Amino acid sequence: MAVKGENNREKQTQREGERDILEKISQKFNIEGEIERNQRIWVSVDKEILIKLCKFMRDQGFVHLSAISVTDWLDEGKYEIVYLLWSYTDKILLGIKTKIDRDNPIIDSVVPVWMESAQIHERELHELFGVVFEGNSDLAPLFLEDWDGPPPFRKDFDWREYVREEYYDKENVREGVYFD
Amino acid sequence: MIDQLEPAPEKGEYDFYFGPAHPGSGNFGVKLKIEGEKVISARADPGYLHRGFEKLMEYRLPLQNAVLSDRLCILEAMNWNLIHAQAVDQLMHIEVPERAQYIRVIMAELSRIQSHIIWYGVFSLATGFDTGFKIAFGYRDYIMDLFELITGGRVYPAGYLCPGGVRRDFPPNTEQKILSVLDLMEEMVQLEELENPSYLQRTEGIGVLSLEDALRLGATGPVLRASGMASDVRKEEPYEIYDRIDFDVPVKGEGDAYARNRIGIEEMIQSIGIVRQALDELPGGEVRASKFKKPKLATKIPAGEVYVRNEVARGEAGMYMVSNGEKTPYRVKIRGPDFLHMIPVLEFLLKGAEVADIPAIYWSLNICPADMDR
Repeated sequence: MAVKGENNREKQTQREGERDILEKISQKFNIEGEIERNQRIWVSVDKEILIKLCKFMRDQGFVHLSAISVTDWLDEGKYEIVYLLWSYTDKILLGIKTKIDRDNPIIDSVVPVWMESAQIHERELHELFGVVFEGNSDLAPLFLEDWDGPPPFRKDFDWREYVREEYYDKENVREGVYFD
Repeated sequence: MIDQLEPAPEKGEYDFYFGPAHPGSGNFGVKLKIEGEKVISARADPGYLHRGFEKLMEYRLPLQNAVLSDRLCILEAMNWNLIHAQAVDQLMHIEVPERAQYIRVIMAELSRIQSHIIWYGVFSLATGFDTGFKIAFGYRDYIMDLFELITGGRVYPAGYLCPGGVRRDFPPNTEQKILSVLDLMEEMVQLEELENPSYLQRTEGIGVLSLEDALRLGATGPVLRASGMASDVRKEEPYEIYDRIDFDVPVKGEGDAYARNRIGIEEMIQSIGIVRQALDELPGGEVRASKFKKPKLATKIPAGEVYVRNEVARGEAGMYMVSNGEKTPYRVKIRGPDFLHMIPVLEFLLKGAEVADIPAIYWSLNICPADMDR
């Protein structure tokens, strides 16, 4: 995106707030982060120190958990979990990324850090990716009703194949095209 | 679902299922446990509109996803168009022409106005004021006419705000038409009845959300602003040309249904001002980046990841897009404001409420099941 307006151009050259936060993280946890652009920082951590880092960041002002996402890196055999945090005071978005084993996806829950807002994000990801968030007391199904198949958002789940098998009839004139 | 409900026990405690076929609920239900007239507990039952957009987008090209992004929220399709377009623009390092940025803001704000009109309309319906509903939907149609003129679609713009800019320029005389519709919108704001005693009785002190609770439950947008926090993505992280535009962020401290509704009205006035300013300054020139003028379907998205945040009518919307260098995105995560508003916030507010206040609380959150379920 183009940089718009004089103010933004000035801010972009300085990025003091962003560098301050990375400084604090590297002092406390010895991790190097990356400034993508204004108001965007990314940090990759091991899952062992995730909760400690999250607590620390919340106390630094990152009180808003904007979203949690999972990326399924099939070739690597890993799930990458991304916590997207927003600080209302510093006006910076911090993405914390951590990788866990795809076949045994267990990670500590961040519910103690962000309470109910984390609870619902984790519940969704448990349903769609099968990630087990240890310490989250409510991982009941959310969107899918009577679903007993594999977690549907995994990369190796071919929903087109599933729909063909479950719902379409090859002999039917109209539905046969789905088998070509 | 009905057969799972337990029979009413003797002491007057019973299960009550609000939605999904209730005309005031949208495609969404809440399971309530009620004793007498009081709600003891509430459990949201989403999923009636779950279409799996995040997964569908992994199989489609950005130009197809632009059309798909309309459906993320039926009530404000244009704003979701914009957030998808921005995510692709940023991943592909596309510089959007200035005129297109102005048009994007004009369309997003018109979309916000009509969404807030719907909000006022359904809230009136929920509190028993049918006339408000009819006035609102009548006036909303003027904006629908504009959308039809500009994009070809009334509700769904079919990816009008697309990667690289907008799909086509304004037809002749559009600016004048928008200005005359804005006059009508100002008339509409005057008509919105909020000081009538029976309305006040239904909304004042109902569904109170303190700032502390709002932050803990992940509320954003009008809901958070009604609880006393001046937070708006358009101010905090200006996208497109919002940093050149002068507007206020309305804030209230009460956190009740009345405050939330007032925020909606005041935001409409601000949005009308934004559209006027953008039209004043609207520059000439191209409306689509040259790279996307003749879109090649085989264009690959450079590897990378972005998280785009926008302020839609309902609050903070986000799109996290990951690309591994293929033609289709590798992963798309959509963050809808109502995912938080309709599950944790609604469950919290309904607990302890009176049965008669359920619709007022429910609609004061400006809900849209579509962006929650995705």
